[in-house]
Amino acid sequence: MKRIRIREYSARTRFSVDSRAVSGSDPIVEFEGVAVRVGAATILRDVHLTVNPGESLGLFGANGAGKTTLLRVIATLLRPSGGTARVLGVDLSSPDRFDIRPRLGLIGHKPALYPELSLLGNLEFSARIAGIPTSAAHAALDAVGLGRAADRPAGAASHGMQRRVEFAREVLLEPELLLLDEPHSALDPSAIELVEHIVAGVLARAGAVVLVSHDVDRVAPMVTRTAELAGGTVDG
Amino acid sequence: MKSTRRSAWLDIAAIVVVLGALVFAMLSPKVESQGDSARMLFVHVPTIWLAYLAFAVTFAASITYLATRSLRWDLIAGSSAEIGVVFTTIAIIGGMIWGKATWNVYWTWDARLTLTAIMLFVYIGYLALRRSIPEPEARARRSSVLGILGLVQLIPVHFSVTWWRTLHQTNTFRPRDIQMDGPILAALLVSVAAFTVVYARLLRYRYELAQLHLAQYEAAAATEGPVAGDAVSAPTIGTSGA
Amino acid sequence: MWVTIPFGAIALLLVPLAVGINQDVLQQIGTGMLFVVVMLFGVLTSIRRTNIETPEQRDAIALLGIDPVAEFTGRVMASAALLLVFEIVIGVVAVALYGLDISGWEWMLVVMPLAAIGLAELGTLSASIAGSAQAGPALVPLLVTPLAVPLLLGATQTVKTIGGGGVNLSWLVLMVIVVLVLAIVGVLTARPLQETR
Repeated sequence: MKRIRIREYSARTRFSVDSRAVSGSDPIVEFEGVAVRVGAATILRDVHLTVNPGESLGLFGANGAGKTTLLRVIATLLRPSGGTARVLGVDLSSPDRFDIRPRLGLIGHKPALYPELSLLGNLEFSARIAGIPTSAAHAALDAVGLGRAADRPAGAASHGMQRRVEFAREVLLEPELLLLDEPHSALDPSAIELVEHIVAGVLARAGAVVLVSHDVDRVAPMVTRTAELAGGTVDG
Repeated sequence: MKSTRRSAWLDIAAIVVVLGALVFAMLSPKVESQGDSARMLFVHVPTIWLAYLAFAVTFAASITYLATRSLRWDLIAGSSAEIGVVFTTIAIIGGMIWGKATWNVYWTWDARLTLTAIMLFVYIGYLALRRSIPEPEARARRSSVLGILGLVQLIPVHFSVTWWRTLHQTNTFRPRDIQMDGPILAALLVSVAAFTVVYARLLRYRYELAQLHLAQYEAAAATEGPVAGDAVSAPTIGTSGA
Repeated sequence: MWVTIPFGAIALLLVPLAVGINQDVLQQIGTGMLFVVVMLFGVLTSIRRTNIETPEQRDAIALLGIDPVAEFTGRVMASAALLLVFEIVIGVVAVALYGLDISGWEWMLVVMPLAAIGLAELGTLSASIAGSAQAGPALVPLLVTPLAVPLLLGATQTVKTIGGGGVNLSWLVLMVIVVLVLAIVGVLTARPLQETR
């Protein structure tokens, strides 16, 4: 069993995180020889990947290597064309993969907010669908430093603010597997610490994180292991 | 070898039946009010009957695909729809030629004619959808839903002549009241049989072609070619190598 | 909606420029033109709403774990509500411009919602079927328009018979059948269609 010690964070963050060892059981992500083809193009080929509970995997690769595609396969949003893929114990080629979606979190390149709704409105929408009291949405927005901008339409908010709202959503929904695509994009230093805290929170709950980035140095504090995607394949 | 020989015999049989139908059609008595132009009946009626049959096969095969997830049924659905579109086009053109000869107009906005043209567009849309999705499974799922929906369109086409009284003659076949002379009816039935045999052969060939296309796609997918990311290399300007 | 409604009104205004301003002719074609405009503009509105949803928003909805049947039903209800408003406003314009007979208007309380729900179901289904295909946005109108004919026929013929002093229920029954069939197909295929995403 793997034991991973979670870092303590400074008092600058609004949260405190208890360090504790977590033990791994069944892998949260288990890919064997996974391939993804879109039309005539092969994006991924022979991907081998295992992510255990309490692990944070940093996935690196050049532009166009297929990092976002791999992340979307893990998120069950794209079906693998070949190989065996299991996430949270569920085979991704089976219809059961829809049932695990509420247990996943994905923050992609581009924000997924509704521009006509306010920042708070977007969070409350997610809370209602997830069956969480909408009062928790305001607390989550406060936690990411946007409490006073709650009523601002998402379309009028900056990219960085929208990303903070997406992180607030993951604070609210507490996914077991968190997937991050370029987590540092558009975030100021204080918000980057927020990301580290959220990653720590997932790991503390014996969840796992897979994050994709070009910048090895910046994500180093929040990963326990790294892997490189090249030639359409990764072995990690 | 055995199946090729049997296939050839079936093709010969189809040709013989069609020739027989042609003979019947030419030898059947003339219709007094319409003269020789009425012989279009022996092409027009069977082609529209077959269009309905083809789209019904598409409907049934689409349902079967969704139930079994066997791509074979999707290939049958797509092949049948293609043939149905061809037969519908022939039926409309035949009807227009007949209309010109009988009513002196190519197009009459008759209920059945108009709705048949609309049915044609439904399945042109179906074929356009299939063409726009290269992945076999995604194509099968989406087009099978449309294949089922297309049947919704056939209801008003069938009932239109009864509910919407216009120029088009009423249904030729009403269960207890067939309004047609014996020899003409016989020639028509032979034509329908002939066209049905032609449909079956065309479906067989089109299905085989679809299977070959699928095999080709799967073979290409299994081949170790370059991945999409290989197209991206390091920039040559602003680097130490420049 | 605030762009589409004026656009629909202009379309109704333009028709007499093409067919002439003979009031009898306009009264005869008015009902049909109303429902054609409703179909063309109203369905484009519901399709546009699907088109402006970004892939990231669709992914976020998917990951919230919303049941595909619930998603289909929700989209249909939202589109139907929009289409109903559109129908009512454009209907008033058509009555004014074409001098349509409004006796038996109570039947419109059945016809208009049925047409709105049917068109909403068609738009939602077609967007699910073709939306993310290569030519998706161009395909959707091609798929919706011919399939909407039974609804158009039913609506127009029902309204015509209202004016004649007695309603021919056959056309209304046709509309109900089409709406039910579309609902059943939409519910049964919601999950398989989600699997293709």
